[in-house]
Amino acid sequence: MTKEPLLRVNNLEVVYNHTVQVLKGLSLAVPEGEVVALLGSNGAGKSTTLKAISGLLPMEDGAVTDGEIRFGGVSLAGRQPHEIARRGVFQVMEGRRVFEELTVEENLSCASYARGGAGDLAGAYEKVYGYFPRLAERRRQLAGYLSGGEQQMLAIGRALVARPRLMLLDEPSLGLSPILVEEIFGIVSRINREEGTTILLVEQNANMALSVSSFGYIMENGRIVLDGPTSLLREDRDVREFYLGGHGGQRKSYRDLKHYKRRKRWLS
Amino acid sequence: MAVLTVDTLPKLLLLRASEKPSGVALREKEFGVWQRETWEGYLGHVRRFCLGLVALGLSRGDKIAILSENCREWLYAELAAMSASAVGVGVYPTSPAAEVKYVVAHSESVFAVVQDQEQADKILEVIAELPLLKKIVVMDRKGMRAYTDPRILSFGEVEAIGAEHEGNHPRLFREMAEATRSNELAFLIYTSGTTGFPKGAMISHRNILAQVESVVDVTGIRASDSVVSYLPLCHVAEQIFSVFLPLSLGMTVNFAESVRTIQEDLREIAPTVFLGVPRIWEKLQSSILVKIQETGRLRRTLFERAIAAGAEAVRKELSGGRPGPLDRLGRHVHHLLICRALQNFVGLRRARRCFTAAAAISPEVLLFFRAIGIPILEGYGMTECTGFSFLQSGGDVRLGTVGRPIPGVEYRIAEDGELLKRGDGVFLGYYRDPNATAETLRDGWLHTGDVAEEDPDGHLRIVDRKKAIIVTAGGKNVSPSLIENALKVSPYIKEAVVLGEGERFLSALIQIDLENTGQWATSRRLSYTNFRNLASLPEVRDLIAKEVDRVNGGLSSAESVRKFRLLEKELDHDDNEVTATMKVRRKTIYDKFAPLIREIYG
Repeated sequence: MTKEPLLRVNNLEVVYNHTVQVLKGLSLAVPEGEVVALLGSNGAGKSTTLKAISGLLPMEDGAVTDGEIRFGGVSLAGRQPHEIARRGVFQVMEGRRVFEELTVEENLSCASYARGGAGDLAGAYEKVYGYFPRLAERRRQLAGYLSGGEQQMLAIGRALVARPRLMLLDEPSLGLSPILVEEIFGIVSRINREEGTTILLVEQNANMALSVSSFGYIMENGRIVLDGPTSLLREDRDVREFYLGGHGGQRKSYRDLKHYKRRKRWLS
Repeated sequence: MAVLTVDTLPKLLLLRASEKPSGVALREKEFGVWQRETWEGYLGHVRRFCLGLVALGLSRGDKIAILSENCREWLYAELAAMSASAVGVGVYPTSPAAEVKYVVAHSESVFAVVQDQEQADKILEVIAELPLLKKIVVMDRKGMRAYTDPRILSFGEVEAIGAEHEGNHPRLFREMAEATRSNELAFLIYTSGTTGFPKGAMISHRNILAQVESVVDVTGIRASDSVVSYLPLCHVAEQIFSVFLPLSLGMTVNFAESVRTIQEDLREIAPTVFLGVPRIWEKLQSSILVKIQETGRLRRTLFERAIAAGAEAVRKELSGGRPGPLDRLGRHVHHLLICRALQNFVGLRRARRCFTAAAAISPEVLLFFRAIGIPILEGYGMTECTGFSFLQSGGDVRLGTVGRPIPGVEYRIAEDGELLKRGDGVFLGYYRDPNATAETLRDGWLHTGDVAEEDPDGHLRIVDRKKAIIVTAGGKNVSPSLIENALKVSPYIKEAVVLGEGERFLSALIQIDLENTGQWATSRRLSYTNFRNLASLPEVRDLIAKEVDRVNGGLSSAESVRKFRLLEKELDHDDNEVTATMKVRRKTIYDKFAPLIREIYG
């Protein structure tokens, strides 16, 4: 890669409460205009990575103890979350986090702060409604009454209003039905194509994530254990077994699931 | 010293249980809480499990494969087998299914006692090729409710069958245990097999008790000591410390949670006797070094001074000099300021006796630990002589040697340099392998396959495996493990394989240590993603080149490593590159990395 990627994370180390080291020298790169997937099991440190990028770590008593995050050629070290958001990094948090007492449109308007308040808000809303027609129908309803899928759409819609250069998507599939997951990933893919938004996608649903991304990283215990173009990852034996489920695609019954994990070797 | 009044392990267990029934024999952590088992309880489990197996058809001489990490049930199964004059066979829980199959089939095991679903699956995968196997006894049945194979039953079920059997035959167990004979086969130990298939070494009760008596004699280990059980029980070294010595003396065994968590476990258990293999000592050393790197300048300086002064004092002491009062005062101050903390950090402050065995260790590591006040005694032995045959003792230590023979061991060095041994510890032969037996036991001498030298004071120095010695194009004989161990002292090098048979110079394949090298890279702001990526960084190459140069500085020019390549993957038991005890299988390495080797020699 000769061109500097939009986002570059170098040897990031993160410690929570001064005691628990969650990231142990993590490095990754997200080139402009691409969708990059970050996969891994619970507790691997995926969300922590995103929060480190968006500057939200101090809210959870976490701190970057080493390493560097560069966005658009500028270091993000020590910057406040709102400043990072204004520079064009917008995180869609895990578990949707919409303002439940506000209406859909009020929720969207909150995000305009990230772009400095002004601008063509009406146009921005229309764009959101274009991607998510269901939100248009419910624009005056309280967000708390939306279904889980609609709330997720709203969360992504909010990000759209902010017109970020880089969208950090944290588990958009969480708790959604397979049909909705497919719908949302379809839209994520469209946003990337049509708006040119670069996306760093954290997912447990590896199948979906790899289907929309061009490059993937697999994390374990705060480290990258494997990375590569999506096409190669999908062929990897260990990735297939641990993340894509089953060998050769046949479905497994939960009765056949093992109580142990075959030892992973990644690079053999 | 007459520690023994009975001549087999089952009889010893009976004795311990009647002598101090409520004394603590075993400790194991369950859900974070330490559980204790008394000697009486230990015997009870062994008795019921033994009778259960007998009710299920176990006869004298049958083999029982045990496939589990270290735990109480491991010992129950082993002793239960012995009590019925049957024979336990340890199988490494890290072994892939093919290797498990080889050992279970070759040993003609009729029962397999396995830890959990993972191990049971390995047996079930190949069960069609194991016609002799009657039952699979599972310690932890979690996840196995849907398994319908009628041969599967749980450890508890076998004990329940045994309890019922005992009701009908209340004297049977004692009769069987008392009928065990000292010259009978007690245990089968499959060697890890660096050069071919594993071979089953047959060990008798007499072998075991001879070993125990000599070790107790040399080391002064006593009943009040406690040990931690964490190395594979399939290996003779851990058998000595987890089974043989505790049964003979009545000391307590603590099970570590696993070999991976040994550092945390040591801090918690604080054993008084500890056996480490070189890999463990190297790891403990580098954990100290890495920790020191992270602390402030004051502590670092203090540490460096303490080590330097300590090493100096140790050198003086070992060469027969007596420390002056100032030296002693200095050491005392260092002890209070830093060494005590380091001893606590590695969990060995209470350890009276520390040992290293099973592979060659670099004298540098030994010097380091002596400097911080943890004197490690190096021993040498092999499965075929039931463990130790040479052991350093007390103040009579030469670093780089393995000390003198333990009582009862006779030895001589053959013309070609090979070490030959004789004594009560020498095994009965290899199971179902008369050719290998005849090759190893010739004219009453055990041929060790190791080349050794004796220094003028009678301390033995092991040069290398006879087969491993490299003869270069210049006709120079080189011991690769000496160089490899020197390389492995570097915290950045985890594994090294020295090459050069028939070549003009020596070279090495080196596997970096992911943890420490990764940390080094991070501190230099070098970004990397995974192991392969890290190993391919030019800066890492330079780092290792410096380490290699440093090691070369201490070697003669014929022994120096002129070229090296970094391995892009970690050597793994599953990939057949190392054995279960992490010994390198040279042949596999030569084949697998042939292109890399060709690159070196052009």
